[in-house]
Amino acid sequence: MLFHTWTFLIFFPIVFLGYLAFKKTSLRVPWLLAASYVFYGSWNPFYLLLIIYSTALDYWVVAWMEACGSSKSAHSSSRRWASLLQWRSPVRSLRVAAWIGRVGLLLSLGLGLMGPAGSQAVACLLGVLSLTMMFAASMQSRKAWLWVSMINNLSFLLYFKYADFFIENANQLFVRLGFNIQWPEAATLMPFGWEYLLPVGISFYTFQSMSYTLDFYFGKLPREKKFLNFATYVAFFPQLVAGPIERAASLLPQFEKAPRIRIKDITDGASLFLIGLFKKLALANYLSYYVERVYGMPDEFGGAALALATLAFAWQIYFDFSGYTDMARGIALMMGYKLMLNFNRPYLATSLGDFWSRWHISLSTWFRDYVYIPLGGNRHGAKKAYLYLGITFLLSAVWHGAAWTFIIWGLLHAVGTMATRELESQAWYHDRVPIALKRLFVFLFVSFAWIFFRAETVSDAWLIVSRIAGSAWTDPAMPLLMMGLIVSMWAYQWLQETRFRIWTEAAWFKVMGAVFMLIWLCFFSSSGGAFIYFQF
Amino acid sequence: MKQENSKQMPSQSDAGRKLQKALPHAFLLSVPQWIGVLAVFLALVLFLPSAWEAWESFDPELNYRVPYETSQDYWQYERHLKQRTQGSDIFFVGDSVVWGEYVTADATWSAFLNEQAAGEYQFVNLALNGLYPLALEGLVRHYGSDLRQGKVMLHCNLLWMSSPSADLSQSKEQVFNHPTLVPQFRVSIPSYRATLDTRLGRAIGHQWSFLAWVRHLQIQYWEQKDPYAWTLADNGKYPPAYPNSYTMPWSVVDGRLISEPERDPDRGLQSTRHKPWSEEGVGTQRFDWVPLNDSLQWQAFQRLCQLLQERGNDLIVVLGPFNQHIMTVDNRAKFKAIENEVKQWLESLLHCLQRPKLLDSSLYGDASHPLTQGYRQLAESLWNDSDFKEWLAVPK
Repeated sequence: MLFHTWTFLIFFPIVFLGYLAFKKTSLRVPWLLAASYVFYGSWNPFYLLLIIYSTALDYWVVAWMEACGSSKSAHSSSRRWASLLQWRSPVRSLRVAAWIGRVGLLLSLGLGLMGPAGSQAVACLLGVLSLTMMFAASMQSRKAWLWVSMINNLSFLLYFKYADFFIENANQLFVRLGFNIQWPEAATLMPFGWEYLLPVGISFYTFQSMSYTLDFYFGKLPREKKFLNFATYVAFFPQLVAGPIERAASLLPQFEKAPRIRIKDITDGASLFLIGLFKKLALANYLSYYVERVYGMPDEFGGAALALATLAFAWQIYFDFSGYTDMARGIALMMGYKLMLNFNRPYLATSLGDFWSRWHISLSTWFRDYVYIPLGGNRHGAKKAYLYLGITFLLSAVWHGAAWTFIIWGLLHAVGTMATRELESQAWYHDRVPIALKRLFVFLFVSFAWIFFRAETVSDAWLIVSRIAGSAWTDPAMPLLMMGLIVSMWAYQWLQETRFRIWTEAAWFKVMGAVFMLIWLCFFSSSGGAFIYFQF
Repeated sequence: MKQENSKQMPSQSDAGRKLQKALPHAFLLSVPQWIGVLAVFLALVLFLPSAWEAWESFDPELNYRVPYETSQDYWQYERHLKQRTQGSDIFFVGDSVVWGEYVTADATWSAFLNEQAAGEYQFVNLALNGLYPLALEGLVRHYGSDLRQGKVMLHCNLLWMSSPSADLSQSKEQVFNHPTLVPQFRVSIPSYRATLDTRLGRAIGHQWSFLAWVRHLQIQYWEQKDPYAWTLADNGKYPPAYPNSYTMPWSVVDGRLISEPERDPDRGLQSTRHKPWSEEGVGTQRFDWVPLNDSLQWQAFQRLCQLLQERGNDLIVVLGPFNQHIMTVDNRAKFKAIENEVKQWLESLLHCLQRPKLLDSSLYGDASHPLTQGYRQLAESLWNDSDFKEWLAVPK
């Protein structure tokens, strides 16, 4: 179910009215959870099994982690080793966990030995998970429980998003090295003949769930005792499939008690929804047609068309993703929940670092807090900081998908961030280069990097780059209307960061702007088109 | 150290502060502003189509029919109907048999009736090309609200019950004309597999005439496309050219409606399509007639008759004449049985049922569409029918 569909426009009022009816009762959170599962299940009901399993496991992992913490002082290290040898834990809930681990181990053995073809990989994973659980329960190790959560979450991500990439590259390597080995395709590893489909939004809710486990492990937040609250946090439908990736510390407390819904929340929420709808239907979808035309056959278009299509894609992905976020935030706000800002006029950034503080903020802060800083951040000198930055960007690129194009895109951003950081430390650059020039440079660099993000293959990307630089600049046939829209949107954003912003805050401007958007949507909205970030 | 890190990427609390800071500057409307937006928007939605009607000249001739290219312009259909609600108007409703598949606008059934009537009555061609009972019911229900308290001739074409495929009752998905007009939820149509969202959109679209008007503009001025798609359209050749790239969509809106071509290569005596069915070399056919109890098209036709009567219309149904020459001999008995069943039901409902005689084989272009001379004969026989004359004479 997409936000910009009629189905959602029927679904949401029903959910909203039910929510208002149950707001002050104990059914408020169950209602939200049920709505979220209906929303997610509308893509494929089987996805629900996955999200419910992940949610339940992370919920219990944290509970068992807490149990380890409480029994830590009561039991010495030697007693814990002894309990490992005896395969039993002194804490009751951990004994249950150990039993679950044993049952899981038996199941994995059974599945591995007697299960249908293709189930061996699942059996192997289940075995590793079960053994880690038994170890964690017996040793009362918080870290081992963290591993259980990580293995579980990342194995799903690895399998559904990256398995094909790894298998394909490994098989190519085997051929080159002369080994007579060929791993089967990832789809063949699905047990019971189930279809191999990437669950929508798996990267988003997995990261959200992981942030809860990690934050608890690092002592940043207490355990959520109510399972339904936690399940709603993971599956909250406005931001379930494409973020913002909310932190538990920010969203979980909001489910604790009924939020106060002010009239302003509803009007602000409706405004955000309208803007998001306009960005998606009136802008992103339009741009996508031109981008698809040109990027679909890059060898048939000249340099001008390829360059313009690249700029068009830069705006398409911004309008598409920020439009989704606006709608998500608007929907949540109407129900009294505040989601974080995810985009803040990124194409007005003056450096690559600035760009990443404005683009997909919830993801970049996630990587900063859970990868960059734990790796060492800036604490070990500039060289290591750059190394950690490179690793962070690499992982961030891989998060988007398993393809060399994403990896090159991530590395380009890593290099760009380091370069602009160095430049910003030079007085001549920092003080003398006009901001407009810096913005232009950053925009052009980001747009250049988008070539690798958007192209189907690395060779396509190189072809596009070489044709932009080397081929004749023939008539690009980009519609005049499209150019006008891009320039208008750029000018509007630029206006927002100047003293002329006051013009756009006038009541008449807003009213006319909203009426214009509504009428424009009736005339110009291009139907269909899933959001780009749903694939991640 | 942490502060240094936060220079690189903002922290959660930074983002939270930014949210607080950013909201007042975003495009957020207050309650009075939203009321203003809704008031202006509603005024525009209500006012624009009416103003457009006044601006865009439309003065249909006596034998006007909605051109083939604009068959899906239901707003234009409704507009035509609104302009033709004088006392002497007789509305002839039906599918492409009434519309005139192989003939020009001045050689249709209604056109020859007008010739016979010589101004005493005006027969209005209220058919659309590509219709069938399931769609016709939707058309009259949603865009034919002005079809009330009038004299209505409704054509019944048994072709739509001649196979499960024509009846849309076979379980295989089919692509067919006017999908927006078929019942989206009320009736289960096995051949129609639109998604829930598409069905919802179509159902909502019928309730909001503004959207029908927008579609009118798209059909009349932007080659049946939305303006975005129009700016991107290619010329269909290789290598492609994009003739509309540097034209703004509104610059082609000149108020001139699409009309029938002067010399239509597909219709009229000069057309290569205008020839007897037997010259196509297809031979006789066996039809897999659908029992009326199971026929979706027949049920839709029944609902349509009842709807027209509920609206106070004086209704007459013209049944056929279906081209029986095209049928194999053994297939005719089944046809006769179905035709009788239809006749019985219609007689129980109506005061007047017309069953024109079967035309000569050479006057049919296919299984159900007559050629020019066929329409002339049908009009003459109808005009000379005393029951029909009596029906016409009863004032409404």
